[in-house]
Amino acid sequence: MQNAKDSFYLALRTRLTTINPERTILVRGALRPGILVEEAEGPLSQIPSDVFVLRWQGLGVDVDLDSTLVAEECEILYQTLGTQSFGGLDRGRMLSAMDEELLAMVQPFYTPKLNYSATPPATMLTQVFWDEPSFTPAVTMRDRLSRSAKVLVYSYQEQGE
Amino acid sequence: MSDTAPRNPVGAPQMLADALLRSVAGTTALLRVTGTNTDTSQSEVGLVATTFADVVVAPVVMRKLRPSWKEGGESKYELLVSATSIEGQVNALDVGSAQALFSLTLAVTVDGKDYLIESIASNEAFGTPYLYRLLLRETGQQAI
Repeated sequence: MQNAKDSFYLALRTRLTTINPERTILVRGALRPGILVEEAEGPLSQIPSDVFVLRWQGLGVDVDLDSTLVAEECEILYQTLGTQSFGGLDRGRMLSAMDEELLAMVQPFYTPKLNYSATPPATMLTQVFWDEPSFTPAVTMRDRLSRSAKVLVYSYQEQGE
Repeated sequence: MSDTAPRNPVGAPQMLADALLRSVAGTTALLRVTGTNTDTSQSEVGLVATTFADVVVAPVVMRKLRPSWKEGGESKYELLVSATSIEGQVNALDVGSAQALFSLTLAVTVDGKDYLIESIASNEAFGTPYLYRLLLRETGQQAI
């Protein structure tokens, strides 16, 4: 499943660079697209604002098929405080912009499965695919507006996985 | 924000803070700082081990915060860190600011135990920090 998780994240990251190249984050001294995998970074006391954070959660397996189908639930969290120049009054608009970016990022709902532990990444035989995101209601915490979306990501287990 | 009072900033608050930290058995802490990584796909998905460096800061004083017991909750500590020492490391590592140094810090080691930074605050005089206060919590990471 790790290859599917990596492929899903990198597909979204690549799409984000096209959708909004200005959404970036400085992580460990490197300027990256504004999306990160929570479990692959240092522990966060609070998720950073104006970036997408992927959190992997539930896992399901269907072995009654020719190839084992694995499904993993990905929660994509994001929050904003608005911009300083607007005194935070544009936080609703910023959250809407992130909603739209996320919706654009997950389409199309598939990507080739790659093995990123090889250099260069090796293309595998199957694809990773997912369903439409289910958005949660926005949560207001003082000046912080946050939301998350859940996506079920599917992939077939290949030999050697 | 700098103090606009017509007084010249002096190093006295920093020296006084350092002296106070030393007088209460100030010790040494190690900030485990990540090296700046080259942005590759592998480093973003946890495949490439990041390089770490232990940055020494002293004097520091650690105190346990008033316990508010919670099921599964870790103990919290406050680490009082000399601003002089932080400034020295900021210059040595050329990271621009104390905030940048703390953002590169994955863990703080005091007396052989690792802690995670929950939040950072600083005390200032004449617009210059003389003490940093790090809120820490115990980590449960395994040594491998």
